[in-house]
Amino acid sequence: MTLLALENVDVFYGDLQAIFGVNLHIDQGEAVALIGANGAGKSTLLRAMIGLTAARHGTVRLDGHDITRERCDLVARRGVAIVPEGRRLFASLTVEENLLMGAARARPGPWTLDAVFALFPAMREFRHHNAAELSGGQQQMVAVGRALLTNPRLLLCDELSLGLAPKVVGEIYACFAGIRATGVSIILVEQDIVRARSASNRLYCLLKGRVTLEGASDAVSLDAISQAYFGERRQ
Amino acid sequence: MSYVEAVLNGLMVGGLYGLFGLGLALAFGIMRIVNIAHGEFVVLAAYLGVTLLAVTPLPLPVVIVVVAIAAFALGWTLQATMLNRVLGPNPVPAMVITMGLSIVLRNVLVKLYGANIQSIDIGPLQTMGLAFGGLSIGLLPMLIFAIAVVLFVGVNLLLTRTTIGRAFRAAADDYEILETLGFNRRRIYNAALGLAVALSAVAGLLLAMRSSFSPFSGVERLLIAFEVVIIGGLGSLRGCFLGGLFLGVVQVVGLKLYPNSGPLFGHLAFFVVLLLRQSNLGSFLAWGRK
Repeated sequence: MTLLALENVDVFYGDLQAIFGVNLHIDQGEAVALIGANGAGKSTLLRAMIGLTAARHGTVRLDGHDITRERCDLVARRGVAIVPEGRRLFASLTVEENLLMGAARARPGPWTLDAVFALFPAMREFRHHNAAELSGGQQQMVAVGRALLTNPRLLLCDELSLGLAPKVVGEIYACFAGIRATGVSIILVEQDIVRARSASNRLYCLLKGRVTLEGASDAVSLDAISQAYFGERRQ
Repeated sequence: MSYVEAVLNGLMVGGLYGLFGLGLALAFGIMRIVNIAHGEFVVLAAYLGVTLLAVTPLPLPVVIVVVAIAAFALGWTLQATMLNRVLGPNPVPAMVITMGLSIVLRNVLVKLYGANIQSIDIGPLQTMGLAFGGLSIGLLPMLIFAIAVVLFVGVNLLLTRTTIGRAFRAAADDYEILETLGFNRRRIYNAALGLAVALSAVAGLLLAMRSSFSPFSGVERLLIAFEVVIIGGLGSLRGCFLGGLFLGVVQVVGLKLYPNSGPLFGHLAFFVVLLLRQSNLGSFLAWGRK
C-alpha cells in the first residue's frame, strides 16, 4: 500500500526552481534510497515531503491525504519525521531534552525513551551532556532517536553518513534493521551509493532536480547508476 | 541612610530591573524580536494596577495576578495578530511595529490618565520597615525583591522542566526542526511573548509601588531593560538577574552620593561595562598609533 506519493512536484526557492516534475512513491514498510550529486535537489525534495518548503506545483499525498501545502507541524503529526542533514540538534539542550522534544508531540507507538536507549545503548552514558559537546557520531544517534520518538510512519534520513567515520556510519546503519522491524518506511538520502543500495529496496537517482533513474536496488547496475548520477552518455 | 542600606536597597530594586531585562531577553532570544514597546507595557501595567485598585475592591495580591494575566493575554495577542506576520530573517519590521505601538500606547495613556506623575498608594505597607543591626529596611522593598527572586526561579524551572519551556529554548536554537517534531512555532511564539510581557508587567506594577511614573516613563524603563540585557549577556537568566542587581546598586548608591543624579550613574556604569567589554583594547590602541 502506498504511504507517500509525489506527483509532478515542482519546488522553488524564491524564483529558483530546484525540483522539476518529480514523481516518487514509497510503500508501507519500504526503504527507498534517494541518490544524486551535490545540488541535485535531494534535500529539497525531503523538505517538500515534510512541509518545510511546500511544493509549488503537483501534489504530495500521505496515505491518500493531500498534504502539499499543509503546515510542517501538522504533517509531522500525521507521522512524517526527519533526521536533517548536519543533524541540527538543539544546541542549548541536553541530549535527553533533545529526545524529550521528539517525544512531546509524539503519536502513539513503540518508540519510547527506553526503546531509543535500547537501540543506542551508548546514549545512556551521555544523556545529560549538552548536545553541542558530542562527537558527530553521537550527535547522529541523538538525531535519529529524536526523530524516532515522534513514532513516525515515514522516516526521512538526510545524509546520515555526512562527516562521520566509516565505522560509526556502519554502527548507525546496523540499527536500521531494528527500526524497519517496527514497520517504519524510510527514505534515505545518501551520497554513498554502495551503502544506499544495500540499505534500500528501491532507489531513485536525481540529477539537477529531475529523476533520471528509478528501480529495485539490487536490479539496477552500477553502470546505469553512474550514467544517471552524472548525466553522461554511455560510450 | 547608610551606604550598607543603599546597597541593600539597590539590590532590591535591582531584582525588578532584572525582570525588565528578562522580558526583553526572552522576546529577543526566542523570536529575535526587539520589543521597543517593552517600556510602554511596563507603564501600562502600572496604570492598569492603579485603576484596578481604585475602582475595584480587589486586594493587592489579586490585582498583581490579574495584571499578569491581562499582560500575558496582551503579549499573546500582539504576537498572534501582528508579529507573527513579519517573521523572518529581517528584524526591522517587528521593530517598526513595536515602535509604532509604543507611540500609540503612550498617547492613549496621556489621553486617559493625563500627563501627570502618578504613584500607587498601597496603604501602611508602604512605610513599614524592619530594623536590625542598626539598619532599617523597608518591608515593601523586601517583599518586592522576594517576588522578583521567586519569578526568576519560576522561569528557570519553566525553561528546564516543562515541555513549553524546552520548546522556547529549542525554538531559539532551530525553529524548523522544532516544527518537524510537531510543534506549532507560532503558538510557541505567542506564549513566549505572553510570558515576556507578563513578567515585565508584574515588575512594572511592583516598581510603581516604590516610585512614581507617568505615561512617558516607558522609555526610561526600556533603557534599563536594554542595559540589563547587555550587561548580563543575552540568553542568560542568571546574567539578567545579576545585571539587574548591578544596575540597581549603582543607581541607588549614586543617588545617595548625589541626590539629583537620577539614573545618571546607572547609565555611566553601563557605559563603563561596554568599554571594558572591548577586549581588543590593545589593538584599538595600536590602531591609534598608526
